Amino acid sequence: MNDTPLLSVRGLTKRFGGLVAVNGIGFDIRPGEILGLIGPNGSGKSTAMKLIMGIERPNAGSVKVNGVEMAGWLPHRIARAGVGIVFQHSRPLHRQTVLEHIKLALLPDSLVKLVADPHVNRRAREIAERVGLSAVMHRHPATLPFADLRRMEMAKAIARDPKVVLVDEPFAGLTQTESQAFSDLIRGFRAEGRAVLLVDHNVKSLAALADRVLAMYLGEHVAEGTAEEVMRNETVRRVYLGGKIETRERTVQASSDKPSILEIDDVGVLYGKARALDGVKLHVREGEFVSVVGLNGAGKTTLFNAVSGLVPYHGTIRSAGQDIKGMSGAAIARAGIVQCPETRELFSDMTVRENLDLGGYHLANDARAEQLAWLFELFPILKSRQTQTARTLSGGEQQMLAIARALMMQPRLLILDEPTLGLAPVILEQLSKAMDKLQKTTPITVLLGEQNVTFALPHADRVYVLEHARIVWEGSPTRFEQEMAEGFLDAPPSTPTQAVRA
Amino acid sequence: MTALLRSRVVWAAALLAILATTLPWWLSGYILGVLTVAYYFGVFAMSWDLLFGFAGEVNFGPTFLIGLGAYSAAMLNAHWSAPIPVCVIAGGVVALIGGLLLAVPALRLRGPYFGLVTLVAVLLLQNAIVIFAGLTGGEIGMMVPDVISVDANHNYWIALAFLIVCAILLFGLSRSAIGLILQASGQDTVGAQALGFNVTKHKLAAFCISAVFSGVAGAMLVFYQGTASVSTVVDLGVGVQIIIAAVLGGRRTILGAVLGSVFLIVAGEFLRPLGQINTFVVAAVALAVILFFPDGLLGNLLRVRERE
Amino acid sequence: MLPLQILIDGFAISSLYALGAIGFTLIFGVSGVLNLAHGGVMLVAALMGWMLAGEAGLGTYLGTLLGIVCGMLAAYITYLMVVRPIQRSAAIPREEKEIFVLTGTLLWGIMIQQGMAYLFTDNPITMRPLIDGVMNLAGVRVPFNEIMIAGVCWVVIGLLWLFVNRTRAGKALLAASMNPRGLTLLGFELSRIYLLAWTLYGVLAGIAGVLLASFLGVSTNNTGQLTASAFSIVVLGGLGSVSGSLMAAYVVGYLETVTAYLIAPTLRPLPALLLLVLVVYVRPQGFLGRR
Repeated sequence: MNDTPLLSVRGLTKRFGGLVAVNGIGFDIRPGEILGLIGPNGSGKSTAMKLIMGIERPNAGSVKVNGVEMAGWLPHRIARAGVGIVFQHSRPLHRQTVLEHIKLALLPDSLVKLVADPHVNRRAREIAERVGLSAVMHRHPATLPFADLRRMEMAKAIARDPKVVLVDEPFAGLTQTESQAFSDLIRGFRAEGRAVLLVDHNVKSLAALADRVLAMYLGEHVAEGTAEEVMRNETVRRVYLGGKIETRERTVQASSDKPSILEIDDVGVLYGKARALDGVKLHVREGEFVSVVGLNGAGKTTLFNAVSGLVPYHGTIRSAGQDIKGMSGAAIARAGIVQCPETRELFSDMTVRENLDLGGYHLANDARAEQLAWLFELFPILKSRQTQTARTLSGGEQQMLAIARALMMQPRLLILDEPTLGLAPVILEQLSKAMDKLQKTTPITVLLGEQNVTFALPHADRVYVLEHARIVWEGSPTRFEQEMAEGFLDAPPSTPTQAVRA
Repeated sequence: MTALLRSRVVWAAALLAILATTLPWWLSGYILGVLTVAYYFGVFAMSWDLLFGFAGEVNFGPTFLIGLGAYSAAMLNAHWSAPIPVCVIAGGVVALIGGLLLAVPALRLRGPYFGLVTLVAVLLLQNAIVIFAGLTGGEIGMMVPDVISVDANHNYWIALAFLIVCAILLFGLSRSAIGLILQASGQDTVGAQALGFNVTKHKLAAFCISAVFSGVAGAMLVFYQGTASVSTVVDLGVGVQIIIAAVLGGRRTILGAVLGSVFLIVAGEFLRPLGQINTFVVAAVALAVILFFPDGLLGNLLRVRERE
Repeated sequence: MLPLQILIDGFAISSLYALGAIGFTLIFGVSGVLNLAHGGVMLVAALMGWMLAGEAGLGTYLGTLLGIVCGMLAAYITYLMVVRPIQRSAAIPREEKEIFVLTGTLLWGIMIQQGMAYLFTDNPITMRPLIDGVMNLAGVRVPFNEIMIAGVCWVVIGLLWLFVNRTRAGKALLAASMNPRGLTLLGFELSRIYLLAWTLYGVLAGIAGVLLASFLGVSTNNTGQLTASAFSIVVLGGLGSVSGSLMAAYVVGYLETVTAYLIAPTLRPLPALLLLVLVVYVRPQGFLGRR
């Protein structure tokens, strides 16, 4: 194993309009080394991977493979120069068998070669065997389970004999055993002297596999080192967990006699073949503030989308005793279960006032005016920005608008999905204060999904921990602080199934 | 499995081809004439399927390429008395050039814009033909002095032979390594690029192949009918019929396009006595197919096999 | 007096084009559909209006009104029997839905065209003008009808603007064109919004159809050209931009009028087509296209 890096990235930058997705990222990967690139949603890790593969063109920076500068090349050139990628999802050809897919990867980029060379067939079989697909070589992708489809993607990458291998979310959607098998394949890459870049949401899944880890946040380099070093890094913990955890004294909640607003029983969700939720059991009572805590990719958004009727699921979800499966998303929202999603879904070219008015569309005129006045009191900054278009607001203001708009519907249950994502600490303070006021002045019931434990804990009556598609812990915030806090970032996956990011 | 499948489809096709050869001995000249047109139509549809089903590009104006081939062959023959084979080859060449001129910039466009450009190309050609009526005969069309043959049987066999040759070439291409690359390029562009394939280059090649076959078939059709007119070879409606034929037969099957064409042309002829309403009926049937059987005839058959 | 004639005629035809194009853009913006049966919808309104006014003896005013209603019905059928089934079909993969909708509406347009030709006539028809008489505008003879048409178009466009920007239902429609998921989360049933959009579209196309019938006349043979014109205008202006469509309608309208008067009437559609090709290659998002 020599010391000159196989993949060398410097100052990689990508802008999408006004948004800087990747800002000056740099790292080296030596032959026979595995680097893990981690970050929450919006951190820029996926974009960085696309930039290396040429799927997006960088605005600045250099990407060198074996000393050859490739930044700005077309993806097929980069592929032919020795960079391979294993996609998380791909669109297989339905009329072709697994073997034919692998053969495809072995073909040269020729316009005239009608028949593949004889060795292609033999080589394809060898590769199929290596990844464990020899039993299903002649079957069509539609008949295969998710794990085999991922193996097929692996096989296609292996076929290209790349010097550098990029792997997108290696274990998403795989069971424990399947993940082990996959890890072995990746270790095989390392043994063959290739440079491997693994991209994932969190450190835990990569800890056993990666030699080194680089953490990203909002497009920037936040920490680098071994997996343990990165997990203990202060900035990483702050960015992922929100810093020191403190619980506040919650005033009385004898809510066990209050009626249940939401009952989730044994709910599971499949995205195609990948399992995103498994046997989730959760309940929320009237007036409660329940926090579901979990890292990116654990399944929080999937859970909320199931409740909001936006995604099909197995199991039962009841609201006030009534089964809500089969109700349209809009009907569920009108029934009082309102979600403020992670992506906010604002009407960007409409003003703040117009967005809020649409939230209050179904109310009578005076009720709407009253609600609006109350919300302007809760979020004074929205009042002063009434006539501005949503697009021009800052991230924090947009989040407040999204929450306010949801509140315009006078929900019985407000679902908040990662409201703090990408926001500065100062804004978090404001949001936290608003949440406080909301709790103290209204009988609202809230279901909050957060990665930022510091934000999630102080308001909560009860806490659930969602990890890799399952609920692994349930209890009060104080107990959470005692039992879970330390190991939140460190605990190895204790459940068989890992989650897939929607 | 696929090899087996292939031989089933291929054997069935071979059988049909042999059957088709025998038809002149027991069908009237009139029906043979209809089938002759259907066979040329079949080549139009197969070319379209190669571009759509394989390269994933929707050509809303296949009649642009067909028209180029047809009219250039017609003009060469009528104004410069070139022999038929030369005209036909020239038709193919002109269609190829036209196709390249259209495709090189058009392939850079995303989404509906590519289809839109192909649509506009047909309209532009129509207008050009009308403007230069001196050379082209304008809206009325032009007669060509030479025809392939005056005998219905001869015309039929030549059309059939042409169809079979084109089918073998196009089907063979679709099943070859290049066909595989084309499919990947059309269905998952990023994935294909990540495997090292210059997707633009391959799509352009698919467009050129489609252009050549369309142009040559268009020229052949002119020398069969003895006339070239806007309403037969440069019409948007005809273009739509080609798309329908390919979809009816089954996208991405190539051979299905032939089935679809034969059905469409024969059905259209069958319904002719109904008068104007026949186009309506054909369009209605096609719409029904799109809504209820989007995979088409052969597509459904192949799907069933896959499940086994 | 030719320039003035061109100015006035161009204005009238452009206004008419604008009405049709705005309807087309509306449906694209909200429903995501490029309705290639657009000419067919206009045709239904025009022919039914003509038939009811003349043959059925209901008189011009009632005929016109009913014609518009028929246009609306044609739009509904287009949505409910062609577009929606394709959009909801599980058998068609998501990436190909757009193409299938395009082909489906194209086919449906052909069906309307042939059906109408069969049921009524394929000869060009004109409707009796709603207002008879001619006025003299600075030396140019302009039929009152022409002025009325331009006026009606602008009134309707104005009403539409008011609806979209000042009423709650209109804003919901606008929001649907920006973020349908956002609306669902706020409790709006998208299916109802789509129905509203297609209703509006039907009315707009219907009015454009009957007015065209009384101005220039309409023929089943021109159905494709009507769709092509609307299509070109909308692309020129920018898919999804209503103000873009408005601008482009005037550009195309005047280009056509100038060509017809100064070059040759048969070459009428040509400059617009050439402009379209130019725009698609140089600036595919059109004059004011968003995204």
